[in-house]
Amino acid sequence: MDFGFSLSPSSAVNLDKVDLSLYDRLAAIDPGIRTCIGCGSCSATCTASAYSGMSVRKVLLAMQRGRMQEVEKMLSNCMLCGKCTMVCPRGINTRRLILNACRLYANVEGEA
Amino acid sequence: MIDRFANSGFHPFVLPFLVGMIFVLTYCFFGMVRIIWELPGKDRRRFFLSLVTPRTAWKNVKDIFLNCLIHVKLWKRNPVLGYMHSSIAFGWFMIILLGHIEVMLFLPERIRFFYYPIFFNFFVAEGESTIQGSVLMFLMDFFLLIILSGIAMAIVKRFASLWFGMRRTTRLSFLDSVGLYSLWAIFPLRLLSESFTAHISGGSFLTVPMNRMFVWFFGNDMNYLPTWWAYSIALGIFMIVLPFTRYMHIPAEMLLIPLRNAGIRIIHPRKGFARVQVRSCPGCGVCIDACPMSVKKENLKDCTVYLNRQIRRGNEKRIAEISDKCLLCGKCTEVCQVGVPGPEMRLAQRSLRKYSINPHYSNIQVDPFIDAIPTGTRVLYFAGCMTHLTPGIKKSVLSLLDKAGASYSVMDPDGGLCCGRPMMMAGRDEQAREMIRLNTEIIRASGCNVLLLSCPICYRIFKEKYKLGNIRIVHHSVYFNELIHAGRLKVNREEALKLVYHDPCELGRGCGIYDEPREAVSAAGTLVEARQNHAESICCGGSLGSITLSYEKREGITRNSVDNLMAGSPDAIVTACPLCLSTFNKYADVPVKDLATVLDEKC
Amino acid sequence: MAEYIAVVGGGIAGMETAVRLKALGLEPVLIERSESLGGHVASWHRLFPDMSHADKLIKDLEKGLEDVDVQLGAEISSLNPLRKGYSLVLTNGKVYPCRAIVLATGFSLFPAERKEEYGYGIYDHVITNRDLEGWFNGKADSRVPESPRAIGFVHCVGSRDIKAGNSQCSKVCCITAIKQAIEMKEKFPEAEVYCFYMDLRLFGKKYEDFYIKAQRDYNIHFIRGRVSEVAETIDGQVQVKAEDTLSGKPVRVRLDLLVLMAGIVCNADNQTFTQAVQMPLDDDGFFRSRDNVGAITESDRPGVFFAGACTGAKTIPETLAEARSAALNVYLYVKGLK
Repeated sequence: MDFGFSLSPSSAVNLDKVDLSLYDRLAAIDPGIRTCIGCGSCSATCTASAYSGMSVRKVLLAMQRGRMQEVEKMLSNCMLCGKCTMVCPRGINTRRLILNACRLYANVEGEA
Repeated sequence: MIDRFANSGFHPFVLPFLVGMIFVLTYCFFGMVRIIWELPGKDRRRFFLSLVTPRTAWKNVKDIFLNCLIHVKLWKRNPVLGYMHSSIAFGWFMIILLGHIEVMLFLPERIRFFYYPIFFNFFVAEGESTIQGSVLMFLMDFFLLIILSGIAMAIVKRFASLWFGMRRTTRLSFLDSVGLYSLWAIFPLRLLSESFTAHISGGSFLTVPMNRMFVWFFGNDMNYLPTWWAYSIALGIFMIVLPFTRYMHIPAEMLLIPLRNAGIRIIHPRKGFARVQVRSCPGCGVCIDACPMSVKKENLKDCTVYLNRQIRRGNEKRIAEISDKCLLCGKCTEVCQVGVPGPEMRLAQRSLRKYSINPHYSNIQVDPFIDAIPTGTRVLYFAGCMTHLTPGIKKSVLSLLDKAGASYSVMDPDGGLCCGRPMMMAGRDEQAREMIRLNTEIIRASGCNVLLLSCPICYRIFKEKYKLGNIRIVHHSVYFNELIHAGRLKVNREEALKLVYHDPCELGRGCGIYDEPREAVSAAGTLVEARQNHAESICCGGSLGSITLSYEKREGITRNSVDNLMAGSPDAIVTACPLCLSTFNKYADVPVKDLATVLDEKC
Repeated sequence: MAEYIAVVGGGIAGMETAVRLKALGLEPVLIERSESLGGHVASWHRLFPDMSHADKLIKDLEKGLEDVDVQLGAEISSLNPLRKGYSLVLTNGKVYPCRAIVLATGFSLFPAERKEEYGYGIYDHVITNRDLEGWFNGKADSRVPESPRAIGFVHCVGSRDIKAGNSQCSKVCCITAIKQAIEMKEKFPEAEVYCFYMDLRLFGKKYEDFYIKAQRDYNIHFIRGRVSEVAETIDGQVQVKAEDTLSGKPVRVRLDLLVLMAGIVCNADNQTFTQAVQMPLDDDGFFRSRDNVGAITESDRPGVFFAGACTGAKTIPETLAEARSAALNVYLYVKGLK
């Protein structure tokens, strides 16, 4: 059916089709990551964000919205300094999250 | 002097011993060749060179004697355990040595038989009839008595380890038990065998009276052969199982010491030097009580002794778990009698991991950082990531610099680049090296001659990995102590103020800085010590070293560390690390302050 | 010998409970540790949503206490169970045989210096919500500049923060921040006022109206992002770092005054009470009600009741309502009706 217009595939997130396998695998390792409230403390304090737009909040969100390229781009700048872990009000172990995401990114079905 | 088996010099009972001896020597030889083969070429050359360099060669002999035989380190920690170990090790060594002297002295042509010095009293009669003979016999009995006292202590310890000051110890594997019981059996059996033949071969204060008793009791000397057989079998069993038990640490440590003295470091967690480390672990379990994580029962099996055990067993899942959980505080290495470097083993293990995303920092321009530093800067202060979350430290440091009239600039007023140490702690050296390169460029271009640091995490990597030429790298605790001594900072001491100093892991065990911070604390108040201090201080629990330990699981570690600091009921806890500061702040009942803040308040 | 009802804590919860108990014909004794009544509310200036004066509320409550035995500057030194009720010995030496006890010990304000990254006690222009109310009440405070051009409010300081040891929401800070922001804007119409929040929780009567007013009439800027760090500039301003999570961009702003909305946390000594009467403490550190829906003012122990924020964060109307409910429950208990 053609309504004479279409949604741009890049701007809409179709939750029916999002591949959550990476997020789910990371949450299986540490369920704490599901408790993120998106407060942005991690992004604001991030040492690498000034040069790259790295943000743990956005990494978690992008993973849940299927925007995997953004995940890769952001994680490629992380310096692992641990400030985000220090400030997170939910106590999420963000360093562990980042390392596991870097490890499991390409091969989502790979080794534990 | 009579060789009772003049023609052959042989009796079949020596066979178990001989088989065991040949097996263990062959095993150790091939093991050693393999380990040396696994070393990187550069390290291998370095090792061989160190063996022929007189200074290191002498050090090797001295260290092997002091550590493997006398157990000097253990004596210092626990004299009872020290005596137990050195009585067995040194006593056994002396018996072997004396056996060889006897053979050399009386039947030098028999020295080519391995077993002759061991079973000398079986083969040779009436040794005590000469002066040398009776002295040697006396010494033999004397050292045997020493060993037996050690064995007796070992047996008591096995069933009541708490009497020996050990709260927790490892559980033995089956083969370990076989090794243990055969080791216990060896010396009483030797006493029995030598006693049974003492009226033929001679003896001394121990064996001769026992022989009289046996003769009186049994009426004949038909019993000597079974006991010599049993003695040989015990020796044989011990040596056959040795490579598969914790007793492998005895030969392994003799290779470990020269390798360590040659300055070789762990690169691969399973090969080369690491393999010797794993094998050198005696499995004593001292690291269990020492590990800061052990306050929680769930972490009891995550200390270095279990890492070594799992590596020997090849249990990859547990190896990864243990390696990732560790805080890298280094306390296990500090208390370890062999000095197995727990943190380095784990770092090497972490560095094996493969990642599909590999961060790189090629988009970072260093010029803006360089331009922001005024020319003519003498002291360049690098606060570091963590210090930005503890602004009190930064403010105090800058205030003290002002008071001392120093000319300084801040390298990261609005946040800088990470030093690389946290990345290195995750085993990702390549990324860390890139950060090192960027920071080095900024610091060198600044033209400073002192790089001042507040964070021990940064300080350690700057000290160990950065090549900054003539630029002095200094932690603020050392720098301010110097300024106090030089009279540039006048601190008003408050006698009544009791301050305890917490040694941050990276500054203390990591870089060996213990005294300067204490001197500086003493300038502001009365220094009291924690229950465990200096090299044995307890990690605050906040360490970036642990990858998997969650926030909640660290609470117990921190509370235990605070409890340790409160032993002298101080008015405040003083530390010199932003991470320790913010970690303690959450659970301490007294104020927690950085050294710089304490000094600034009294300046 | 008279049988007393002990009311522990002289804040608004304890005051209201004592007033109502007296009205019901019982003999309350109000025990307050400090030298004056009113608790936290006494240090406040004006109250949402009607901007009524806090001291008027306190004065009204004090009027009802004229015939009540009030013990100021006194704490419980020992508490012993009797066959019916408890025997209380106070630190001033007085002994009260009590038929029932109402705990109205309230809460503590989160010590903002514990979140060092916000620089309270370190920087010159960082204050707390309580400090600001004190200043509204006319207390001189050198940290508040004469004519600030930019003012920031940080929500959730010590609330919803596992690192601060309090993972609960303090309920009242959102509306307090908006109230204070409006008051500051009224005093300094030229100043830009920013509120940094994680979530705005404006649940009470007329709270949303406050929010709308703050947006529309006072042009207060609401930034959805938790402040992560505060730095001090050379000229003494504070620089705040946060992420504007709605635009996904880091924001930095220089302020002349930063106000930290310190949250409601449990009293550190709650445990001494629970141990004395042998009842469990709730896992959030507050007292544990018998039932958080139907019996919020009742404890597990007969004769021990709760009123107000000692069981968790409460607004003033909630606290007063609970105080009345507690008084009624005590009455029914003493008369054997329940």
